Amino acid sequence: MSRRPSSAPKFAAWRFWVVSLLLLTLCSLLIGRLVLIQAIDKDHGSEFLKKQGAMRAVRLAEIPAYRGLITDRRGEPLAVSTPVVSLWANPAHLTDSGRLDELAAALNISVGDLRKRLALYGDKQFMYLARHQTPDQARRVLDLKIAGVRSEREYRRFYPAGEVVSQVVGLTNVDGQGIAGLEKAFDEWLLGHPGKKRYLKDLHGDAVRDIGVVTEARPGKELALSIDLRLQYLQHRELQRAMVETGAEAGAAVTIDAWTGEILAMTNHPVFNPNSRAGFDYAATRNRVVTDAFEPGSTIKPLTLVAALESGKFTIDTLIDTSPGRIRVGRKMLPDPSNYGEISVSRIIEKSSQVGVTKIAQAIGHEPVLDVYRRFGLGVSSGIGFPGERAGIVPNRERWSDIEKVTLAFGYGLTATPLQIAHAYTVFANKGLRIPLTLLKRSPEQTVDGERVVSEATASEVLTVLGRVTGEHGTAKRARVDGFSVGGKTGTVHKVGAGGYIDDQYLALFVGIAPMDNPRYVTAIVVDQPKGDAYGGGAAAAPIYSRITNGVLRLRNAVPAIEAPTETRLVALGGGQ
Amino acid sequence: MALNRQSMMSALLVTLCLGSALGVIYSSHVCREFYAALQELEAQRWASQEQYSRLLLEHSTLASPHRVLGLAEDQLQMHAPNVESTRVVTR
Repeated sequence: MSRRPSSAPKFAAWRFWVVSLLLLTLCSLLIGRLVLIQAIDKDHGSEFLKKQGAMRAVRLAEIPAYRGLITDRRGEPLAVSTPVVSLWANPAHLTDSGRLDELAAALNISVGDLRKRLALYGDKQFMYLARHQTPDQARRVLDLKIAGVRSEREYRRFYPAGEVVSQVVGLTNVDGQGIAGLEKAFDEWLLGHPGKKRYLKDLHGDAVRDIGVVTEARPGKELALSIDLRLQYLQHRELQRAMVETGAEAGAAVTIDAWTGEILAMTNHPVFNPNSRAGFDYAATRNRVVTDAFEPGSTIKPLTLVAALESGKFTIDTLIDTSPGRIRVGRKMLPDPSNYGEISVSRIIEKSSQVGVTKIAQAIGHEPVLDVYRRFGLGVSSGIGFPGERAGIVPNRERWSDIEKVTLAFGYGLTATPLQIAHAYTVFANKGLRIPLTLLKRSPEQTVDGERVVSEATASEVLTVLGRVTGEHGTAKRARVDGFSVGGKTGTVHKVGAGGYIDDQYLALFVGIAPMDNPRYVTAIVVDQPKGDAYGGGAAAAPIYSRITNGVLRLRNAVPAIEAPTETRLVALGGGQ
Repeated sequence: MALNRQSMMSALLVTLCLGSALGVIYSSHVCREFYAALQELEAQRWASQEQYSRLLLEHSTLASPHRVLGLAEDQLQMHAPNVESTRVVTR
């Protein structure tokens, strides 16, 4: 007998329908909602929700980019970006952490300082704990795994050559932007463009997973300078040594390869260490070679000589009577150190005779002199684009007094930078062509077009006279270099103070060209306020020139003019290019 | 007959659809793997760059003119030749 147990539940149709209806309603509600989100509601639909979700979890992070390397002309690094790690924290998370002691010890700061800084940034989401740590240092802190302490990759600029080339290369700020020197001038070129990547973060803000790169980081480009670090170092060493010997306040030196217009070395005193920001003196970042314009004094006389020769009234052998060793112009008496008597134009430059130059200036007038100054680039910036470069002043007056017309011819009443004066002298080394200067390396194939500013004949005559300045009768015997003949011109200028010229403060100047048989290297030396009796250009600046040029010629493989000996010996001649 | 072709067609489409769905899954998996590899490579690049700049600095410190001059003069008793000890060799 088969019988259903009486306890078995009876099938209740109405319950079945109620449940089915309920499920169906729920299902259609869900479908309706889906349709609403996906298709109908535009403002609060799927797009909106996706965005809201991403806002809560997806973050963009910066991928740091490498700043371009700066090298000298031979590839020696002058500024290098190295990877470092900056540690940061969310103060809100860290303040309550019980591990502040541990953290402070790892960071090498006192707990008190850390607490003070946490209090200061208490209402912020971000604060740096320590910037620019070496990866090893940072790893030590991160290995403590303190909640809220995070790291960020950055680059830090190092300057391997340090103070030797500091004013030229300049420096960057802590965020890697150029703020001085070539770092500033070529910031666009050197600058790396940081990329962006997307990542997912968790509730605490920690990165959970990288999603992908949005834009690739583009590293900055390399910059090869015209500077030769070996010459730069040599010039730096000699300049610093001379500063100690002469007790001078400041100094500057620049060496130019006249044939290519490349600046081979450019140094200053005082110097600064670009690798240390502590105790940093911004005044010392000044590159005096381009930022300091002063009255060039007698170093400008070769340009006056150009004007004299071009006037047709003088040759370098024309005799001029300079007795009695002084001359009155207006109310001013211009003296020579002694009575030179009747001497040639050439000798006037050799001796740097004020009387002689005054007579030349009176004979040719001031306009031709001004014209020559302008043609040689005085009063116009050099075009190397160095930040803070000065152009100097070549006056343009309505009326000229007698004394102004004359002093202009011997370098007072106008200003120029050491670089401009050196650049003017390159014209004599280039047979009358003026080649634009550069601080960047020129490739050997690159031809540079010079601008003719004087005739070849005039340039070579001036060169002859400059060669005699270091000769027996000249003012710059101490500029001589063993084995080479060099030429140049001294200058001794009164410094200008609040009440006009200061009697016992001088600038000692020397600008030289070497070697005379194949003139190529132009070097200008400025010694600011040498102490003692050796304050003149011939005594304070010329010896520095001699020592620097000795090294320049050796390192650049110039062939010394020495007699071949009877015995044969093999001797090496300095380094490579 | 027509019905049969139609159902064959839908079966094919369903298979293709499923295949492409699986393909999407696979490709996004591969993508993730590649991205992980990329990240690893980038970490490597970072480490190499770290080492490169450290070596560069080390090299330029060791080869600095200041140090070379000091070593040449003090340890090796070298000096730059003066004119008297220089002979020009012409070819």
